[in-house]
Amino acid sequence: MEAASIPSPVGHEGEHHHGPPIANQSSRVNSEVLGILLFIISEIMLFGAFFAAYFFIRVVSADGWPPGEGLPVAVAGINCAILLSSSVTMHWTDVSAKRDNQMAMRIGIVTTFLLGLTFLFIQINEYLHLGFTPETSASASVFFGLTGLHGAHVVIGLLLLWMSAVRIFKGKVGPDHHRGLEVPGIYWHFVDAMWIVVFTTIYIL
Amino acid sequence: MMAAKIRQPGWYRALAFSILGVLVCLGLSTGLRAAFSVDPVYDGESVLQISLLMVPLFFLGGIGCFDYWLRWASGRTVVDDHADHGAKSWRDYFKVNTDHKVIGIQYIVVSFFFMFIGGLMAMLVRAELAAPGRQFVDPNTYNGIFSVHATLLIFLFVIPVFAGIANYVIPLMIGAPDMAFPRLNALSFWMLPVAGVMMLLSFLAPGGSFASGWTAYAPLSVDAPIGQAFFTIAVQFAGASSIATALNFLVTIITMRAPGMTFFRMPLLVWANFSTSLLVVIATPFIAASQFMVILDRALGFNFFNPSGGGDVLMYQHVFWFYSHPAVYIMMLPGFGIISEVLATRARKPVFGYRMMAFSLLAIVLLGFTVWAHHMFVSGMSDWIRIPMMITTAIIAIPTGIKIFSWVATLWRGVLKMDTPMLWATGFIAMFTLGGISGVMLAMVPLDIHVSDTYFIVAHIHYVLFGGSLFTIYAGIYFWFPKMTGRMFNERLGKLHFWLTFIFFNITFAPMHLIGVQGMPRRVSDYAEQFATWNMIISLASFVVGLSTLIFLYNMIVSWRSGPKAGANPWNSLTIEWQVSSPPPIFNFDAIPSVVGGPYEYGVPGAVHAVFDEAEPEPVAVGAGASASEAD
Repeated sequence: MEAASIPSPVGHEGEHHHGPPIANQSSRVNSEVLGILLFIISEIMLFGAFFAAYFFIRVVSADGWPPGEGLPVAVAGINCAILLSSSVTMHWTDVSAKRDNQMAMRIGIVTTFLLGLTFLFIQINEYLHLGFTPETSASASVFFGLTGLHGAHVVIGLLLLWMSAVRIFKGKVGPDHHRGLEVPGIYWHFVDAMWIVVFTTIYIL
Repeated sequence: MMAAKIRQPGWYRALAFSILGVLVCLGLSTGLRAAFSVDPVYDGESVLQISLLMVPLFFLGGIGCFDYWLRWASGRTVVDDHADHGAKSWRDYFKVNTDHKVIGIQYIVVSFFFMFIGGLMAMLVRAELAAPGRQFVDPNTYNGIFSVHATLLIFLFVIPVFAGIANYVIPLMIGAPDMAFPRLNALSFWMLPVAGVMMLLSFLAPGGSFASGWTAYAPLSVDAPIGQAFFTIAVQFAGASSIATALNFLVTIITMRAPGMTFFRMPLLVWANFSTSLLVVIATPFIAASQFMVILDRALGFNFFNPSGGGDVLMYQHVFWFYSHPAVYIMMLPGFGIISEVLATRARKPVFGYRMMAFSLLAIVLLGFTVWAHHMFVSGMSDWIRIPMMITTAIIAIPTGIKIFSWVATLWRGVLKMDTPMLWATGFIAMFTLGGISGVMLAMVPLDIHVSDTYFIVAHIHYVLFGGSLFTIYAGIYFWFPKMTGRMFNERLGKLHFWLTFIFFNITFAPMHLIGVQGMPRRVSDYAEQFATWNMIISLASFVVGLSTLIFLYNMIVSWRSGPKAGANPWNSLTIEWQVSSPPPIFNFDAIPSVVGGPYEYGVPGAVHAVFDEAEPEPVAVGAGASASEAD
């Protein structure tokens, strides 16, 4: 935040300032970053509840697993690699913002967005060729519940990336103004990390 | 003229957007059904369920919750001129406002509105139960009334009213100009009336309102008529509101405390809301998930709770109670904080065992996650879970006991001023202890099996939520009323309100222990002849409790309009919110105060908690939250 360099409580708006006194910063953690981290804790618990459903239906009630004739592990594995590589490009975008490399930032955010979109496209395509629907069985419901919940998070992540991209292309993101990129970036990394857990429990175990 | 009004954020645009939203949902439903060739293409229930999910978002957009963010997202430079901050007339309370003090009052007033409606439903329940047999309503309507009663009072009253009080008080208490995310704060508030109105609208649904209790167990909630969907979706909005507020409190408390305000100099109300917010952020997603699964089962034919499809019915209860047991602490811990403030101030003594008070809150947060299955002793779950859950439930009485004894020790040899807030606070200690004791009884597996689904449960839950939470809410409302309004309430009416409620609350709920042990089942509109006398007494007493709330309402309205002016600090309190004017200035402080001592050093000569001086601002001071004039 740019006000950090101006110790005066009047702030940078000078004599036009009618706003509040500047709050004391009582933690080294930035408030936006802390906010998204707490939100991610909530999100982890939301997934946790669906994993509880997975546990009860697969282990306690012992409804047959996997649902249908077996899951396309190879396709999902490739998809996993696509999503994980988008985390790498996301990180590159973030680093470029801190170095004020506008070109790298633009390439990075577009690549990340397209990789995420590809993941979503392959996932939907997989849904259409599975041969079962949520109505088939409880295991199928759990499959669609968990992967669908994750897919919804990919959509939210893509929306956030879109907003960051708009601001990057308007030249509003730089070393001093990168929260609008950093916060969606943290969320995107969470979406990717969560996919590793979903992928492992659904497709591998 | 009209077009200009619709372009501005506000009620006109909210109405227009809502109508647009219904049309979009109609198109979405018929379009999707046509695309997947489902017959018939138009299905009223489908349109209704999609509308319940989406129209609130259109409404929130119309009223103006998203304007700033959408401007930001479209890449424009957004300058915060604080135009939506603070209320200049009563009309501003009906708009999206970013001032935590305005939002706090919005929260409190809306919560009390739903409290009166929920209370009215309790009166209907008691009217029906005044005598055996059918009095006024058929059994299904009765089920609907008690379900909406519980749901409103839990999700639209107790949880949000605490958030409202904390919203008003906490930024002032920790010396912050506002919450960390003022616009998120406004959005959290506006989701509440959406949820409440949705719950009430369920009475208009074909088949009646949702009638499966506030717990909405599957598969009952999956097979119930469409009114159930109103519960399932309204809870999502109430839950989202509560998660967003909790996140906001946590960030505010962690990053925006005044210089010198270490964690162990924070007033216990701040500690209490810190703990509660942790619970909300961690637990509330579980009820969201449970309701997502119900809506998926209902609307899209998923099999989560369908045993013939391999689903697991008990799983609903596990997921639900993994939220809803911590939720009872969400409904109690902020009240603990209020009581600590009131007792220390009105007994003129430091809170006994301040650090243990703080640690016991955190202990309750931790232990609260380990006891959920004590709600399920008779559900048919595996036997081996019972004993561990019984033991952890008994253990959770220890941190709670620490708090009770510390409050009593705070009163010991204090200079007690038994005015209205203090009466409610001491009344709370007595009533909550009783409710806590019946809670430990219920933890014991054999007793729980005997009294499951009887009026003993109803008695216990009302002793902790009415005698517990509601008493603390009254204590807090009376205590901070002068700060919020700048005026004093009528002390005599306040005392009358307390004594009427206290006496008739006990006549209402104490006998329920007896008839519960004798086996009168809860959630049934009729009962055996042998319980007739007690039920008549209970019903009559409950009507007095209902009437006593009107005294409260009258006192609040008249005192707010024309009560005597209250000074900045009518209770001679040390905490920071009392060191600014009543009501506080629009941005709380001209300069952030510095904290130099503990919050409760009453009786210590010359003790000061915070000082206001024009000294050099702290070199680390940077803009945050409300002061950030441009988002980046």
